[in-house]
Amino acid sequence: MSELPAFWARLFGGWGVDHPFVLMLLALALLPLFATAFRRRPVPALVLVPDDVTSRAVGWLLRAAGMLALAALVLGLAGLHRREQSIQRVGTGAHLVLLLDRSSSMDNSFAGRAPAGDQESKSTAARRLLGDFVARRPHDRIGVSAFSTSPMPVLPLTDHHDVVQAAIAAIDRPGLAFTDVGRGLALALAGFAGDTTDASRAVLLVSDGAALIDRRVQEALRDAAARTPVHLYWLFLRSRGSPGIFDVPPPGEDTPQANPERHLHLFLQSLGVPYRAFEATSPEAVAQAIADIDRQETRPIRYIERVPRRDLARMAFAIAAVAVGLLLLAKLAERDLASHAAAVRAQGGRAPVREAA
Amino acid sequence: MRRRALASHPRLRDARFWLLAVALLALAAALAAPRMELTRSARDLVLVIDVTGSMNVRDYRIDGTPASRLAEAKRAARALLAALPCESRLGLGIFTERRSFLLFEPAEVCENFAAIDGSIEGLDWRMAWEGDSYVARGVHAALAMAADLKADLVFLTDGHEAPPLPGSGLPAFDGEPGKVSGLLVGVGGSEPAPIPKFDEDGREIGFYGEQDVPQENRSGPPPADAPSRAGWNPRNAPWGGDPASGTEHLSAMREEHLRALAAQTGLGFTRLGDPSALATAVEAGTRVRPVSVRVDTAPVPAALALLCLATLFAAGALASRRAIPAH
Repeated sequence: MSELPAFWARLFGGWGVDHPFVLMLLALALLPLFATAFRRRPVPALVLVPDDVTSRAVGWLLRAAGMLALAALVLGLAGLHRREQSIQRVGTGAHLVLLLDRSSSMDNSFAGRAPAGDQESKSTAARRLLGDFVARRPHDRIGVSAFSTSPMPVLPLTDHHDVVQAAIAAIDRPGLAFTDVGRGLALALAGFAGDTTDASRAVLLVSDGAALIDRRVQEALRDAAARTPVHLYWLFLRSRGSPGIFDVPPPGEDTPQANPERHLHLFLQSLGVPYRAFEATSPEAVAQAIADIDRQETRPIRYIERVPRRDLARMAFAIAAVAVGLLLLAKLAERDLASHAAAVRAQGGRAPVREAA
Repeated sequence: MRRRALASHPRLRDARFWLLAVALLALAAALAAPRMELTRSARDLVLVIDVTGSMNVRDYRIDGTPASRLAEAKRAARALLAALPCESRLGLGIFTERRSFLLFEPAEVCENFAAIDGSIEGLDWRMAWEGDSYVARGVHAALAMAADLKADLVFLTDGHEAPPLPGSGLPAFDGEPGKVSGLLVGVGGSEPAPIPKFDEDGREIGFYGEQDVPQENRSGPPPADAPSRAGWNPRNAPWGGDPASGTEHLSAMREEHLRALAAQTGLGFTRLGDPSALATAVEAGTRVRPVSVRVDTAPVPAALALLCLATLFAAGALASRRAIPAH
């Protein structure tokens, strides 16, 4: 039973006009019911005219042509179109929140120095590679959050990747001092709050360091992770010389204060959601990690495909032209039976029949 | 004797025939009509919104309930977004401390409307990372950013400097005044109002008191009137002997300061009034980037065709009310 409204919506939803007031002129289309393009003839008695089905049909056809021509013209002038439609399709992709580190250490190169010559800073590399990543995943709904000294929501989940690219392009601007990754993660998880679809959800954390996560924030994160099942990816841009997240330091030095990155890794592992960390020490390794994530997040997703607006004004004018052409042909075929009689009468000195103008 | 010649072809003497013929010709013209290129004036903007503490002052009313300056600024920004013609680009940044922090570079406004609108809606004072509010430096930084993005600047702020400016006045602007055009938009009422205070969990816990905020900037050389202050001593108490007092814990829109800043940097200044008026001010204060849009010319001949047909049938309908004379 639910098919009928859907069919109805497909047929009649999505039509639109640019200038609705022009539609008031549609009343003009009723005029052909009261008038024709032909001369009116005086007929002494209607019984003289034989009842001819063909003539009646032609008469109604011409009336209909007149009405059609007027209606099509008005609709065309009103700017009839099929609105931009969105069609749900199923493809592969995910709902993805990019959580970007905007701390100032991202402005350094992988060697941990200010980038020199042909070196790329970590943020420039991340910008380039994330841009490619987003461009390769056209069906994803992507949101962007940033964090540094404080968490910042940048974009809600959106299908429009232009603005996502614009947000990625902003990450190589000078950053702020600190790295509050905990609150950033909480914000990214909150980005899925209104997302009730069954699509696969993922958070891609891109950062070059970590900091201690407040115990209260840790609790809040565990809570949020339990409520919002997500896949978690951490792309750790490791500077040369900084401790890695997979290296186990000698006993006694393994404290969150000394190795915040490693302990963030351990914490994320303990969240109970699917989680992978990638440690990238060069732009090539980042590209590798992103390709890996790209392969992983290929679950079916319902995505919206846009069918662009189709203008139908020209088609309306073409229909009107056909209808007017039909009327004109009929007009050309009009035989003036009365004129002969009138001429005869005129010779007889009688007044000519007044014609309807 | 042309009439005679015409009269010999009764069809040609019939106005109805001519109306139909003109309508058909006009429709043919409409089908062949070219699309004209018109230019429309789009704009490239970077919108920076102040999210510092003083923007939490509730001196606006939205739908009858008190609203913060930030809420009003967001409302105006969203109205501006809706008013920008398609192909305009808008980038968004926030200001706090002494930095303008870009959230995203200018992106096309029509295609990305929902995302940009959602992003403006999501702005919050909690995004601020410092309590300080060096507005002048923030504007300078935003100008450098806008110049880099080749966009114009719209900066919404109440102009409340915290800590207050030193006696030497505005910090020097090392950019080129007028290189970036744009607008400083003053947000806030003219009556000083108390600034809400929040604890670290974001709960409101009252208002700032006089001793909670620095009342005077005591860095740099002391102001010229310092020797007249009580307890002044050139070495031990160059700012006078009493603790500074003042009204820095209250906030009003600092129009004079913003006007001076606008003059220094070559920006325009406007007060935030009606949210829809911001779009008009921005249109006046920013550069136009002409974009061409294609306009269909078909409606002109089509309207002529409609006129012909309507005349034809309307005249016929009127005439049909008259009886044909009987013989």
